[in-house]
Amino acid sequence: MEALPENDPIPPVRLYRINAGSCNGCDVELATTASVARFDVERWGCRYSESPADADIVLITGPLTVRVRDKVLRLYGEVSEPKVTVAVGVCPISGGVFRDSYAVVGPIDRYLPVDINVPGCPPHPRALGAGIAKAATLWRERCGYTQPSPELASPGNYDGDAVAPTGLRGKMRFNAAACVGCRMCEHVCAGGAIRFDETDTGLHFTLWHNSCAFCGLCSHYCPTKALSVTDEWQMSHLQEDKYRLVEQGVVSFVPCTDCGSILLPVAPELLRVAYRETSREIERLKTLCPECRQKQSIGGIRR
Amino acid sequence: MMEFKKKVSEMISLWIGEEVAVEWRIDIKGVMTGWCRLQEGTLILPAAEAVACLEGRLSMITAYLSEQAKLKGVREISFHFDLNGTTLTLSIELPLEGARIPSLTHIFRNADWNEREFMELYDIQVVGHPDPRRLFLDKSIDPAAFERLIPYSTFSNGANSKALWEKVMAQNNHTGKEIP
Amino acid sequence: MSTSVIKLGPHQLALEEPMYFRVEVDGEIVVGLDVLAGYVHRGMEHLVMKRNFYQNITLLERLCSLCSNSHPSTFCTAVEEVAGIRIPARAEYLRAIADEIKRISSHLFNCAIIAHIIGQTALFKTVMEIREIMQDTKESIYGNRMDLAANCIGGVRYDLTPESAAYLGKQMERMKGPLDELYRTYATDQAIRTRTEGLGILSKPDAVNYAVVGPVARASGIVYDVRKKNPYGAYDRLRFEVATEQGGDVRARAMVRLREAREAVSLIEQCLADMPPGAIYADTLPEIPAGETIAKSEAPRGELIYYLKTDGTDMPVRLKWRVPSYMNWDALQVMLKGHSVADIPLIVNSIDPCISCTDR
Repeated sequence: MEALPENDPIPPVRLYRINAGSCNGCDVELATTASVARFDVERWGCRYSESPADADIVLITGPLTVRVRDKVLRLYGEVSEPKVTVAVGVCPISGGVFRDSYAVVGPIDRYLPVDINVPGCPPHPRALGAGIAKAATLWRERCGYTQPSPELASPGNYDGDAVAPTGLRGKMRFNAAACVGCRMCEHVCAGGAIRFDETDTGLHFTLWHNSCAFCGLCSHYCPTKALSVTDEWQMSHLQEDKYRLVEQGVVSFVPCTDCGSILLPVAPELLRVAYRETSREIERLKTLCPECRQKQSIGGIRR
Repeated sequence: MMEFKKKVSEMISLWIGEEVAVEWRIDIKGVMTGWCRLQEGTLILPAAEAVACLEGRLSMITAYLSEQAKLKGVREISFHFDLNGTTLTLSIELPLEGARIPSLTHIFRNADWNEREFMELYDIQVVGHPDPRRLFLDKSIDPAAFERLIPYSTFSNGANSKALWEKVMAQNNHTGKEIP
Repeated sequence: MSTSVIKLGPHQLALEEPMYFRVEVDGEIVVGLDVLAGYVHRGMEHLVMKRNFYQNITLLERLCSLCSNSHPSTFCTAVEEVAGIRIPARAEYLRAIADEIKRISSHLFNCAIIAHIIGQTALFKTVMEIREIMQDTKESIYGNRMDLAANCIGGVRYDLTPESAAYLGKQMERMKGPLDELYRTYATDQAIRTRTEGLGILSKPDAVNYAVVGPVARASGIVYDVRKKNPYGAYDRLRFEVATEQGGDVRARAMVRLREAREAVSLIEQCLADMPPGAIYADTLPEIPAGETIAKSEAPRGELIYYLKTDGTDMPVRLKWRVPSYMNWDALQVMLKGHSVADIPLIVNSIDPCISCTDR
């Protein structure tokens, strides 16, 4: 598209919302970006439109249910090109906690091209604002506007705006050194966001943030707090990075100091939970495999 | 409380024409729940009349199909009524094949949606329902959805999760560092 | 009489969620209604049978974000009942605090929507700004503005420190003035009264017949609140009045909600004052034996009932629940009849409908 004259005023970017079967969390939060001053999308040069035909950016919430699919696709089709599509919340991105239900047909990118993902459950209004600002920038680029976007010209840009919300349940962090490999986190995760892969070298942990409900239950049940909740809320990303938004770590196997067979190292956090204080004897026992440990403690005494 | 319990079992016994025993439980807050299993599925109709005479309200209907019941060749439905704060659950057993029960809509108006809902999820026919259309399920979904799907099938076998995780693992290596 | 049928969707109904109506009209007057549900049906009652008890805590919190705490807390109560777990007293109060915080936010959101539909944009924004005090409170204490993640089997997984309890107390103090003011506005403002009084009436006999619950029932003179009739958690020790109205109209329903929001502030203050110190959860990983039970609670929209059947494994054999909105849809038949098509959004929103709850 040809670049427009430089001193033309930038028209507001028009947003249209589609609910594809959500729990309404993302929708109620999007409503605050139209009604609450501190989150208002006007600051990004945007406004909401009541009609898909008068929209530039489509915001889609929900996991895409089988029953709503045709309605969503029809509305999406009514938005004129060029348009930018934003998947709001983890449901449209990965199905979230609803994935693999007989009534859910998403992720949404199986049916339409997504440009930007805004993970969260639901995302904070500031995270929504950040995603919308990115989408607006992308839309202006596609239309050939050369002036700087309002959000970049204004002092508080979308990445570092004001104070980050305090105590927010954001991205999870994994500390491999504290992991005991009990897999309780994987067991309690409603979103199926955690997996372990065992190789010759160790136990590999992967958490995909785009499937995480940010509930922190994994951390609650983690005996050594190898998983912790951070307040990182800024996670909106381009579609090409969808599958790269992960937290990974490896708990490397160590050889038993006696027989040489491989074992998961005992995390110091576990020793603290179990014994409060460690001694030389405990430190020595922890380097042994269960069999050798048994031999040396119980078996040793018997002999 | 004795009076109340007596009144409930007497009223149900009167309507269905035989003695019924209601098992009462009281929780730590003093909240009472009554549990009663009727001998035949069709008895739910007079039993519901009895509950209506006690000025009860239909709270919910739960149809279910447990492995244990299946071994016995039956399926179950529980009707939960509210008697001014006390929940009374009347349960019935129906055959696995060709299960039919009378509609309660003429006694409790709100049985309507409850019955429409379990008719689309389970293989149960409600006789005399005024409007037996589907309620929530899309027409593309097989009838008696919960029965077709309980052995893992194409929809609920985690195929979607598997495909997504393959993409995640292909784009990230095992060492925790992103592939450049 | 010649009637025609019009189809209305979420945009015409002023709903955040997809629900469709087939309305039979005589000219501009509503004579019949068919509710077309299922657009937010996610097969959740099937999903819960494929997930273990722990996963279901989070899954159920995603049933609906407006009453999100009611679901995991009622589900956990059911599991605890089956397992014979008595949760610590402090946890009972912390669950009540979470529920009442959600009640205030939920009621305010509905109150804002009513203003929006009436065309009172300034009032709509004012209510949304007042609600932000609650949103900040949730974010600071629980880490999310909608989903609190407060519950676990055996109690709660958040605690209040002396500092956070003091903060919560201060936030509740901040809510009192605005809530009193809102109540006055909705009760006396002439423009609001003109639009809401006598509109969408559900008489007491109809309310009984349609088996409605929650603010919709109480606005029609039915004095029923699960917190009183069927006490659970800390509610057997908390003092409050059951808000009721006799009008049965859109106005009465709004008044009930606003009084309940104000009453919730007092309930939270009572919890803060009475809450004993101590543990916040019982045994972390309890065995769940075979059994069946009923658990009920008063969600923001009314009576919520859960039925749980277990077989000793860590997944439910059956978990069934009925949300308060379920019966309210049918009661719209009565409320809408004889009113003009233009009043449909206002009447529909006066039942504070929750579609994600209804469809599951």
